[in-house]
Parts: sequence; structure tokens; C-alpha cells
Amino acid sequence: MSNSEHLATVMVNAFIDAVERGVDLVPVVADSTSTAKISPFMKQFPDRLVNVGIAEQTLVGTAVGLSMGGKIAVTCNAAPFLISRANEQIKVDVCYNNSNVKLFGLNAGASYGPLASTHHSIDDIAVLRGFGNIEIYAPSCPIECRQIIDYALEHVGPVYIRLDGKALPELHDAAYQFKPGAINQLREGDDVALVAMGSTVHEIVTAAAQLADLGINAAVINVPSIRPCDTAQLLTMLKNSRHVITVEEHNVNGGVGSLVAEVLAEAGCGIPLLRLGIADGSYAIAADRKEMRAHHGIDAAGVTRSATALCKGA
Amino acid sequence: MNPFALSVTDLEKRARAVRRRIVLLNANSPAGGHTGADLSQVEILTALYFRILNCSPQLINSDERDIYIQSKGHAVGGYYCVLAEAGFIPVEWLPTYQHADSHLPGHPVKHKTPGVELNTGALGHGLPVAVGIALAAKRNNSQRRVFVVTGDGELAEGSNWEAALVAAHYQLDNLIIINDKNNLQLAGSTKDILNTDPLDEKWRAFGMEVTECRGNDMADVVATIEGLQPHGKPHVVIANTTKGAGISFIQGRAEWHHRIPKGDEIELALEELKDE
Repeated sequence: MSNSEHLATVMVNAFIDAVERGVDLVPVVADSTSTAKISPFMKQFPDRLVNVGIAEQTLVGTAVGLSMGGKIAVTCNAAPFLISRANEQIKVDVCYNNSNVKLFGLNAGASYGPLASTHHSIDDIAVLRGFGNIEIYAPSCPIECRQIIDYALEHVGPVYIRLDGKALPELHDAAYQFKPGAINQLREGDDVALVAMGSTVHEIVTAAAQLADLGINAAVINVPSIRPCDTAQLLTMLKNSRHVITVEEHNVNGGVGSLVAEVLAEAGCGIPLLRLGIADGSYAIAADRKEMRAHHGIDAAGVTRSATALCKGA
Repeated sequence: MNPFALSVTDLEKRARAVRRRIVLLNANSPAGGHTGADLSQVEILTALYFRILNCSPQLINSDERDIYIQSKGHAVGGYYCVLAEAGFIPVEWLPTYQHADSHLPGHPVKHKTPGVELNTGALGHGLPVAVGIALAAKRNNSQRRVFVVTGDGELAEGSNWEAALVAAHYQLDNLIIINDKNNLQLAGSTKDILNTDPLDEKWRAFGMEVTECRGNDMADVVATIEGLQPHGKPHVVIANTTKGAGISFIQGRAEWHHRIPKGDEIELALEELKDE
């Protein structure tokens, strides 16, 4: 499957279509119009977008106020600045007030590669999982992304959507139907279950093919919906595997690896788990995406290496 | 329309009733309170809820109602007393202030207390949200006005100044920022801890239309707020108040930031707040 598309472009197209069907949607940006690739929206609806300048706290506060005034407010800026700088506004104004605001974390993970750790967001899922009521999604491909956004714009309440910063190829065809909470299994296999969210799903798809060549049968599990999460469904997919490996461009603490660890531990099923990601106590290295992933062992080759070691008992 | 539309004399009488309720509410609290902050904003809130705001329990779901945001969430005791007097919540709830899981927690919580528009408590949150509400009202061609009360110590939070830039940029003359300037904060005087003066010049430099009033003088509060006209700039009213205003042994004393009246202090305070 091909048709690569940048998820920010998917987002902007979803916004345009929403306004065209009568949704009173207001994008709020913090000098992040280029980050959000939102100029087509601005051309079509010149008086709709609100730009608060480089002021993330006010980005989020203003979006909450707009939602109180009846707007469907969507914030669009780089995930690291959204999550870290506006942390208390997200906690208090968005989550605690249960505001109808949709937060888009653009260029999440280490999308900004060589721009280094100020520009990396490897803690967003961990932070937001600590805030009670916000729904959390990490789409892995354009079709899934579009369906998540369309759902979020209809849903009343706070939503965070983590978007990768590179064009991503399709993993699904038009028949795919995203459902909040649902886990998406892309491949069956009982030697090892590979679990990922967002763009690293592509790494585990490739790794599973490499493993098949080595005689290892890997399941591929995509978790687009971190909250809500159908943990019973996830457990069903995991419990017949001999090993589980999670792969994320996120700290190993608090992301999809932690989610899977909780599910396995609470079920008491004793399946060995390896969490791949940015290791405890580390930042992502400042490097091109490919080198960064290779360094942290979260590219396909790294996953294949780890899975082989586990399965062959090395 | 405000359903009460009280005269200044009646507002003054109502303010005394609110203060008596503040004394008793805090005295009943099992967890301390913010008596000084509750008292300094009595004239501001009484003028708003009993004369100025187009808001009432009947209008609470109206898209056109004026919005009041209590950014200095710790002064919630005074806010509750005003909401009770104005009929948003039963007065019987007031003795439950800060009791376990009551309708009246120690900071405003909208899903607990009818009439509360925004959960606050962490400082510097009210103004950015108020900016968004005012901007939505402009875009909706609504006559809604948005009032937000901040403390003066609270203005050390940078989010206020970010939001001020946005308010001026979008010419939000439907936004009224009232600074309850009582010159005291948690641990002492604002001047000593982090001086925010000259406040008027700061706000003007940020593009606001600034007026000042004697914030515990009802006639002046009413005349000042009612004198505001939309000229394309957000409004700032610097209300020069006294923390703990209205009770001789509380006013102007930093230790009453967290203290509540006890024992004889309760009767002494109520005696001072008797109607003539």
C-alpha cells in the first residue's frame, strides 16, 4: 500500500471539510501556521483561524474560551511546546474543565530529529495519561488519521491527537473503520507480538516481514487509541504470544509500553515483555530520524534484532 | 438585564450581608479559608451580580449571558456567598464550605457549584480563557461581555501578559479585566515580594484602556464599571482595595490571607457588619 501523506495535511483537509459541512471550527495556532501546513484552510476561510503568537499557555486558554463560546476549537502547534509549556492549561483548562477542545500535537516524538531535545516530544503520552479524562490517539497512517479526526470533531470533550512529522504511507484500505478504544491487529503470529503506536507501527510491519524470513512468526498490533483502550481486546491479542515487544518513539515510561505492561501484569499472564523506546533516563539523540531510530533500536532492524534474540533465547 | 438592578444604597446593604456570610462561611470551614481575599472583592462582586452582569440563574444557559470568571480562585468563599445571595445556589450550602466532597470546595468547580463558569485555583488561568470567550462573542456578533477578576499578586504569572497581548491584538473591548489590587499576597506585601507597580502604565503599554477606582467604595465601583465604553481596546479596571475590607481587625493584615475567624472574633466581626 502506498499513498503517503503528511498527517498535518490530512488534518487540514479534515478541517476544511468540517467547516464546509457547517462545523463552527476554529483553529488556534501559536505562530505555527507553517508547522500545521494550514495555509489552504486560511485561503479558503480567511477570518476563521486565531493566531496568538508564540504563546502556548494562551493558545490553550484561548481555545478553551472559544469552546465555551460555542466554537469547536482545535489547537495546532508542535507537540513539545504544547505539552510542556502549556501543561497546566491542558490539565486545568482543558481536562479538569472538561472543555470541548481538540489538541493536535504536531511533529510529535522525535520528528524534529537533529533539532534536539527541546523540539522532541517523547513524554506527551505519559503526561496526558496522567490527566484523567482526555482521550488520546496516535494515528499510524492517513486513513486512520482522518477517521480519528472526524471522530474527534464530533465527540464532545477533550481529545489529544499525536501526529508524526513525516509523510506516512497507508496501512489500511478504504474499508478500514477506526473505532475509539479498538486495537488494530495487522498480522497474526504467536512467536512474538509486536505492539506500536503511531509512526512506529510501520517499523513493526517491516520487522515482522524480516522475522518471517528468519522463521519467526510475529503478530503486528497497532494501538491507535491509547485512551479509551479496549484492554480486554489487547489482552486477547497478546495472551497466546510467547513474547511481547512494544515499540514507540516515546520514553519507555508512560507510553504504549507501559500500557501493555499494565495489561499483562494485571492479567497475571507472565509473558516476558521488552519495551523498546527512548530508554529510562535518556533523551532521544539529536540526529536524522533514521539514525535516531537506529540508535535507540526502534527501527525495523532494531526490532528484528531484539525479537530474534528473545525468540532464539540468545 | 440584571434581575436585581439594585441602587448603590441597596448594593451597600447587600455587600454587608455578603460580608456577614463570609465571616460565618469561613468560621465553619474545617480547612481554613481565604478570609482576606474574600472580603477585598465584595464590592466588585456585589456590583457585578446585583446590578451590572446580564446573568442570573434563569440565564445560566443563555448564549448571550455575560460571563464572570473568578481567576483568583482562592477567593471562592466570597464568590460562593454572592452566588448564594443571587440565587444560584441554596444559602443552606454555605456552612458546607470545604467539608468533605461538598458542593463548595476550596476553589471554584463548575460541576459542583451552579453559577461557576470556570474551574480555577492555579493562578493566571482566567484571563487567557476570558480572551477566548470574548473572541468567540465577537465572532458570534454577541453582545456578551466577559468580566474577569484577578488578584494583583496573581499578575506575576506570565500567562496574564501573553493573554493581554492577544486581547489587544484582537481589539476585545467586550473584555473587562478587574484587578482586585489589595497589595497583599500569600506571604506579605506585593511590593516587597514582587512589585507589580506601576500597574496602570503596564496595562496601557499592553494596549488596554485603564481606569482606576476605590474598589471598596460601592458608588465608585459602580460608576467606574458602568462608565466603560467600547472603544476597540480591552478594559482594565484597577480596583484599589483593602485585603480583609470591612472588618477592622482583619483589614490590611497579611496573616488573614489564610486565617479564618474563631471564637469571639466571629461575634466582633458580625457586630461591625450590622445594618444601621
